[in-house]
Amino acid sequence: MLRYILSRFGQSLLLLLIVSFIGFAVLNLAPGGPLSQFALSPGMTQEQIDKIAAQMGLDRPLIVQYFDWLQHMLVGDWGTSYRDGQPVLHVIESHLFATLLLMGTATSISITLGSTIGIFSALRRRSVFDYAMTVASMVALSIPTFWFGLIAIYIFALNLGWLPAGNMYTVGDGSVLNYLKHLIMPACVLALVDVAVWSRYMRTSTLNVINQDFVRTARAKGLTRRRVLFKHIVGNSLVPMITLAGLQLPMVLGGALVTETVFTWPGMGRLFLDSLGYSDYPVVMGLLMASAMLVLIGNLAADIAVALIDPRIALE
Amino acid sequence: MTAATTTPPVRQPFIKSRALRRFLSHKLAMIGLFMVLGLTFACFVGPYLLPYDELYIDLRARFAPPGTGGHIFGTDPLGRDLAARLFHAGQISMAVGFAVMVIATTVGSVVGVVSGYYGGKISAVLMRVVDAFLSFPSVFLLLALAAFIQPGPVMIAVIISATSWMEVARIVEAEVKSLRNQDFVQAAHMLGLSGRWIMFRELLPNAIGPIIVAASLTVARAILLEAYISFLGYGIQPPLPSWGNLLNGAQQYLGSAPWLAIVPGLAITIAVTGFNFIGDGLRDAFDSRAQGQ
Amino acid sequence: MTDDKTQKAHLSRRQTLMMMGAAGVAGLMGPAAIGRDQAFAANADASGQLILAFSQEPTVFNPLMPHIEVDEGVYYAVFDPLFDFDPDGEYFPILVAEVPTVANGGISEDGLNWRIKLKEGVTWHDGTPFTAEDVKFSLELTMDPDFRSFRSTGYKFMRNITVVSDTELTWEMSESFAPMAAILASTYIIPKHAFDGVEDKNTAPFSNAPIGTGPFKFKERMAGDHIELEANADYHMDGPYLKTLIIKYVPDLNVMYTQFKSGDIDVIGLQYISPDHLAEAETLPNKIVTVAGTATFESIGLNMTRPQFQELAVRQALYAALDKTSIIDALYYGVPTPTETYMPQQSYYYEPDLPKHEFSLEKARKLLDDAGWKPGADGVREKDGVRLSFTNSTTAGNHLREQAQQFIQQTFKEVGVEMTIKNLPPAVMWGDYWMNSGFDSVVVGLNTLSGADPDTSDYFMSTMSPALGGSGQNTFAYQNPKVDELLIKGAASFVPEERREIYQELQRVIRDDLPFLPVFQYAVIKGRKDDVDGPAPNVNNRIETWNVRDWKRT
Repeated sequence: MLRYILSRFGQSLLLLLIVSFIGFAVLNLAPGGPLSQFALSPGMTQEQIDKIAAQMGLDRPLIVQYFDWLQHMLVGDWGTSYRDGQPVLHVIESHLFATLLLMGTATSISITLGSTIGIFSALRRRSVFDYAMTVASMVALSIPTFWFGLIAIYIFALNLGWLPAGNMYTVGDGSVLNYLKHLIMPACVLALVDVAVWSRYMRTSTLNVINQDFVRTARAKGLTRRRVLFKHIVGNSLVPMITLAGLQLPMVLGGALVTETVFTWPGMGRLFLDSLGYSDYPVVMGLLMASAMLVLIGNLAADIAVALIDPRIALE
Repeated sequence: MTAATTTPPVRQPFIKSRALRRFLSHKLAMIGLFMVLGLTFACFVGPYLLPYDELYIDLRARFAPPGTGGHIFGTDPLGRDLAARLFHAGQISMAVGFAVMVIATTVGSVVGVVSGYYGGKISAVLMRVVDAFLSFPSVFLLLALAAFIQPGPVMIAVIISATSWMEVARIVEAEVKSLRNQDFVQAAHMLGLSGRWIMFRELLPNAIGPIIVAASLTVARAILLEAYISFLGYGIQPPLPSWGNLLNGAQQYLGSAPWLAIVPGLAITIAVTGFNFIGDGLRDAFDSRAQGQ
Repeated sequence: MTDDKTQKAHLSRRQTLMMMGAAGVAGLMGPAAIGRDQAFAANADASGQLILAFSQEPTVFNPLMPHIEVDEGVYYAVFDPLFDFDPDGEYFPILVAEVPTVANGGISEDGLNWRIKLKEGVTWHDGTPFTAEDVKFSLELTMDPDFRSFRSTGYKFMRNITVVSDTELTWEMSESFAPMAAILASTYIIPKHAFDGVEDKNTAPFSNAPIGTGPFKFKERMAGDHIELEANADYHMDGPYLKTLIIKYVPDLNVMYTQFKSGDIDVIGLQYISPDHLAEAETLPNKIVTVAGTATFESIGLNMTRPQFQELAVRQALYAALDKTSIIDALYYGVPTPTETYMPQQSYYYEPDLPKHEFSLEKARKLLDDAGWKPGADGVREKDGVRLSFTNSTTAGNHLREQAQQFIQQTFKEVGVEMTIKNLPPAVMWGDYWMNSGFDSVVVGLNTLSGADPDTSDYFMSTMSPALGGSGQNTFAYQNPKVDELLIKGAASFVPEERREIYQELQRVIRDDLPFLPVFQYAVIKGRKDDVDGPAPNVNNRIETWNVRDWKRT
């Protein structure tokens, strides 16, 4: 078991290395750069730009810059942002809460709603409800998240005026209610796609469980539908979902990026776009690495969890 | 998805025709097909039926609401006919979608078949690369790529492909791995056929079902991704229209000219839903086990 | 400086608004300006909170390091320059006891010796006394080869900075350079003691916890959201009148406007209200909405090394084919003002009698016909194997500008000129592509001035083009000996009347030569709640917080 975990861990590290190289090459090979934002300022002459580029080490060969970056990375130094001179980790950390709040809320909504829909679809297989949900989930998967967000803003913020069009809270009003008012629209928009995914998988998973012997036995024992449902079916169908939760992470993160843009949410997605706009490579690299790590950890945790439940996998 | 992890039977031609029959009797798939064909027809024939040229700027007709002055979907901030722009944008967006399908499916199939056939170290390396690409949230990677290239339809198709081939690679790899040791492959080996022949003439055709399913879903995905990056301003640039960049300008006028946002979004949703329906139908058609569910 | 403002003949509605804005300021500035020379009013009554919103996030807090406009929004609150420009382009003292001039002996007759006298008793936010050593440190840090400084223009002539006493310092200039005063007006003074023992001044802790002498203290920054500033009770001038100033980052103009409408923000700052909302904004209850001109001018810049643009007739024809009125009135809702020059119309150095632009496709065609540019098979004109076809670039994502571009493309096509649009992401657009003149033509908004000083050598001097081996910002690669001569003459003179002659002639030369096609002078739509008093337009500063010390709630 330990060997399995170690080897998976080693593979993940190797992956991170590949990821970092691809990311670094993509960013730094491109034309332009972090100094171009100053080009329109009075006094920012070519001479001045060259001087600053040399001071920042941007004139060195790419491969030298990469190994320099990697070397620092290995000892836990993620570099400093070109924009505000703060350590990259600190910059990411200060945007983490907003993103976690949004993703957490959205995921809670989608798991609850998605599982419920999935289980009922499975229990009433081939009913009108099941069929409608199948179609609805496929349509939901096809709607561009940001467009759905725009429409929501148009209806609830611009026309009805019920909810704010953006931001996480009103400055000076840190109450929970204020956060909730700002949170509800982006969280629901972000959850939409996931509800669809979760309900599909939950349906399949539940169907697999229903047809297994112990459920039939339980039914035969004369247990009520409700008891069978909650005690046996729900619990058992949720197990395979662990893997799914891990696999869904990159999608939720990607969705969060777009949702944050539409709702001007001060999270990591917003940070990513801003940093990209200003060519703040250290932060962009940091976010790429952080998200890759998050995804790898998610996958790893899911793999281990499944391996623990099913020891045969480790033998492979 | 389930098809990837199980061992499908070696498919014979008559099964294919049965698959076709199953596909044709799949209601959702037919609806999807209808949606996609309808939209394609509108995009490629529509411009000839409209009274306005998509490039004609008329500042006096700015922000005409849908239905006024012969503009069925209204006009944009430069007074151009939105319907004409939408159809031209559709040509671009769908072309990008199909281009991505071709590139991503080809790359994915080659990687998958090579990895699955040779196994061992080659497979390990190739599959780690697949994992590496999968561990980026694709929107992050796409934006990082798009921010620094000359954004045109060709480049956009290339970078979307760069983030879309892994799924196919995984499916094909799993499929080929399971076929590798079957009799007909062993027979081919004994006949002294080259590795390339076996991979592309024997193994790949047998994995065609899952590849077609993945391909149809790739089109849907590519249209969505193009919309995402163009919406964020890093995709196809105006004056060349695409569904995504029509939306990019629309957010600003959400209050005063909501149709600028609603119409292109609907077009995207219809196209993507259509391809997803078709993909679903194809999956059911190729995977006989799915009949039970 | 004599004050003979040029009267405008015709006042449009917007201009009237602008003038009214300016009048309001004058009324407000009066009493404040009186108190200004006598330092240290009692500032006990700072009260209330104000939320100012920007659509970009201020992130650079060391004002001597490379920064963008929005960062200066914070600098004016936290730091002080030695002196600054008022809306009329006149200097007023801030940290100095009096603004150095040739008349008062602060600057020697030949412009080579400077003497600065500072106010007494000014303290930093942490209580440390402010002295001449701090000024010397700030000036020297700017010149430090190991420091990533914002600018070198002017500073490269500075020598022998000597502290005479706690409140007095002198330096020498290797060349007489009149724009130096304007450069000093945008040099914020930072505390020497914050850098004691700091090895790498680029990464000093100061950068994230700035200490200044300004009206507000830096309290807290919520990255990606807002910055909180609090009143400096010991401020050395009148003000501040607000207890708390919150600078909020709202990355989307629509959301920012919506929040302004709903009252969540009190003053709508940088990037302001977008022109399509002007009509609605003017009707909002309890809000004051004004249009104010800025020093930025929009132009179609031509790469003067390209064969297509070598002939004056071509440039004149392109200018004639430019439908400015439609662009300004329809696309920009009449907010900006048409212009013929790079100089803002509010400037003392503005030349009002430039030839007026006239939109005429007929004239454009005739100019091209006469010059021998004949339409080819595809309708695009050509001459001696050169097709009158070129690309036009700007920042991808600037919607209004992209609309204007597409409109221009259509009118140019009507006279047989093919303009292809090639827009790029900002980091690419304004990188080497811009600096080394990789473009054929661009649409760009430029502010070529330092404050109210009329010098534009970095932009128009022939030796300043990186593409031609220079090291400045002459990205149009413009070469004109007459222009060079005037720029050198203008920078060496300290007499405003004399300089005015020179720079007005310069504007006439450039207008005739058309290295860029001037479109309009930018104006922005500012908005605030009607209980906010103080914000005032000032074309000589890049951002509205220039007088944030005077802002108050009524």
